[in-house]
Amino acid sequence: MSDVQVSNKAKWWKSADVKKTAILWVVITPIIGYVATEVQLRSIGAPASEVMASVKSLMGIFTWAASPVAGLVAALALTSLMGKRHYGDNPPPDADHEIRNSPRAAATWLVVSTLLCLFALITGLVVLQKDSESILDAKAININVTGQQWVWNFDYPESKGVRSEVLYLPVDRPVVFHITSKDVKHSFWVVQMGIKMDANPGYVTETAVTPNKIGVFDVRCAELCGLLHAYMQNKVHVVSQADYDAWLSNRAALEGAA
Amino acid sequence: MTTMMDRSASAPGQAAGKRPLIERLNIVTALVLGTVSAVVVWQLALRFLPETPETSLFFNREDKISLLSLIGWFVGFMTGIGALIGPFRWALGKDLNHDENMFLAGKDQGIKRYFRYTTDHKVVGIQYLVITIIILFVGGTLAMLIRTNLGHAQGGWIQPQTYNAIVGWHGIIMIVATIIMITGPFGNFIMPIMIGARDMAFPRLNALSFWLIVAAVPPVFISFFTGGITTGWSAYNPLASQAGLGMNGYIAFICIFAISTMVAGANITTTVVKMRAKGMTWNRTPIFIYGVVASVALALPAFPVFFLSQIMSGMDRAFATSFYNTAGGGSGWLYENLFWIMGHPEVYVILIPSVAALMEMAPVFTRRPLFSFNLAVMGIAGISGLSVLVWAHHMYISGWAPLLNAPFMLTTELISIPTGMLFLVLIGTLWRGRLWMTMPTASIYALLWNFMIGGITGIYLSDVPADAFLHGSMYVTAHFHYTLMGAGLTGALASLVFWFPKMTGRMFNKTLSWVSFWLVQIGFNVTFIGMFLVGLAGQPRRVESYAEVFSRGNLITTMGAYTIMAGMLVLLHGVISSWRSGVKAPMNPWQAKTLEWTVPNPVPLENFETLPVVTSDAYGYGKAKS
Repeated sequence: MSDVQVSNKAKWWKSADVKKTAILWVVITPIIGYVATEVQLRSIGAPASEVMASVKSLMGIFTWAASPVAGLVAALALTSLMGKRHYGDNPPPDADHEIRNSPRAAATWLVVSTLLCLFALITGLVVLQKDSESILDAKAININVTGQQWVWNFDYPESKGVRSEVLYLPVDRPVVFHITSKDVKHSFWVVQMGIKMDANPGYVTETAVTPNKIGVFDVRCAELCGLLHAYMQNKVHVVSQADYDAWLSNRAALEGAA
Repeated sequence: MTTMMDRSASAPGQAAGKRPLIERLNIVTALVLGTVSAVVVWQLALRFLPETPETSLFFNREDKISLLSLIGWFVGFMTGIGALIGPFRWALGKDLNHDENMFLAGKDQGIKRYFRYTTDHKVVGIQYLVITIIILFVGGTLAMLIRTNLGHAQGGWIQPQTYNAIVGWHGIIMIVATIIMITGPFGNFIMPIMIGARDMAFPRLNALSFWLIVAAVPPVFISFFTGGITTGWSAYNPLASQAGLGMNGYIAFICIFAISTMVAGANITTTVVKMRAKGMTWNRTPIFIYGVVASVALALPAFPVFFLSQIMSGMDRAFATSFYNTAGGGSGWLYENLFWIMGHPEVYVILIPSVAALMEMAPVFTRRPLFSFNLAVMGIAGISGLSVLVWAHHMYISGWAPLLNAPFMLTTELISIPTGMLFLVLIGTLWRGRLWMTMPTASIYALLWNFMIGGITGIYLSDVPADAFLHGSMYVTAHFHYTLMGAGLTGALASLVFWFPKMTGRMFNKTLSWVSFWLVQIGFNVTFIGMFLVGLAGQPRRVESYAEVFSRGNLITTMGAYTIMAGMLVLLHGVISSWRSGVKAPMNPWQAKTLEWTVPNPVPLENFETLPVVTSDAYGYGKAKS
């Protein structure tokens, strides 16, 4: 049927195949966008910082931006599958056309993919810029993070040399982590806050975050660091400023007594 | 003793009546000589290498001994297989005579030629096919051990040390298997016939590249029993310099494999550039050829760097140099750079030939011309060009150069444009085709599906802020399995079914190919979608146990993995049974138009009686409207 229409030099968008593809595209795109976004964002869980919230929204935006492309490919693939199929050991007769090219399709495809690429780049750069500025915050608490096989140690240099294996942070105050390692490479990952930075022996790297939710979250090592890499994890407690001060003075007293 | 024999016999004018040396060497002499030489070197080193003084800062005598023994193995094996006969003759100012060359080409030797230093590209192709299957089998078994161990939370039944060794072993041998899985079997067997050549440009280098891989495999197997590769396949320093003697096996393996890849790359590139049939201009050259050349040409800059990085790693271990040791003035970041300068082109070394193979099959199974050959070539060229400029996206969060994150994000995201071209070519070829439903046809759809997921997740990972969350998590593992396995392996399995008739003279069992296709594809998607989810929830990769919250996702993944295993076993059964007793294949079972289908089964020693002349491209399917 579609063949007749094409051979009559009908407008290309009036061909039955094109109509079928268009309908499928319109139907499939929101399904892909919705399912892929929901599944991914639900798996991530609730963010515990602004950084993590922006990671989540980035992934949502990218998924929605990609779903028309995925939807179009799926629609085209389905249309071709719904066309003439042949089973058997001998080849079917040749197709009834010899289309070798379509400058219009190629040009559209290139322009759209370039625009999408630029969009992803710019969106990413905006967030990146915001994240990197937070390291320069002068009011931030500084914490030295030291990875070693297979524990994390946290030093609070502004608080009489308090040291802890469990990270305590006050809510809603910027923190800058100065990260290093004693032996091999580790990677300091505060899961629900969306920050990660490698701990390299002999160098200090930095990352920053402002926790915005009271609760208990996870610190994990994200770089294979030997035998007990899987167990190199601990908790991070985000508490109110008052609780944080109490914890600090308590720790300082303990250290003094020891 | 053996060396003496080698010298006397390879000299010209062998005693009449005695079988010349060249006819006696095969895999058995290679294994024996390799083992003997390794043991001899090991004993000599044990006796004569000075003990490390107790006051020394470094205890690396064992590393020196094991590296020396591995070099001994390598030299012994290559001598034993006969790789040195040609060079030895040249040193004497002579070369092989015609009979000897015909012997090397495997003339009239039946099955024995597969176990010798045979130069015929068809023999090398079959050898590559078999070794790829063996490596995939071992790597798959290791994957099943990993997934079984991760079937339930809180540590499985494998010790952490063994678990890490299994992860490293699985990683490196699967990388090797996927690098060779298209360019090895099909690049060697099919490619020269496809371009209308009688053999490769350098037949002896062809044999060399294959036997180097055989020489490389035992060190990595042995390393498992001497401490294992406990660092993952990336073998980051300083973790690698801390690891046990097994790391020396890794170093030897990579160095030998890198030489093999460089040799194969030079050979295949030269063959395609110089030996195409008369009339096969660049725009009449099949797209599969472009894929193979792009793959091996990318390996040419990548693998020397890999080689170098491992030589330096070995020197850090054996001589206490400090290329990667911060305390001695080196840097782990140097290793990371060298590794990923190889590592990122390398993923396209795997992917491109696979996509190109499916692009080659698409017109055959849709009975219409390839859609936009030019875009396909531009896509392949664009990916290859950009792929050498993206390596540091593996190091966004390493702290090495934060200011370079934005430029590397740009180059990485640009790759989506040429990749999109490849999608358009495939989808355009499916458009209004007359579908011949075979397992390769279905594989095109599977590739579109898997590569779409792999590609889009790659965009999240290319984004620096999102990567700061995702890096090092199971999400990354799922992502690269989607590209390398979901796209790469899918194309390789389709190639196997597609070219099986030409390579073995028999059709691949249709039912088995379909059963395995569905099991593998469904199992694959279950496995790695489950893995995406636990990654997003925060499970790091390469862990031997995990928090309770990840239990469900891991269980799903493990069940999917068992489905893949079932599918791959069906496929293996299909290969063996079809090869032994499949239906005899006609010369051109798919009615395809490339040159490899114009030669009879089995393919004669010199492929073509008279060399073909090409007058059009191979995609002239479809009927013009009148």
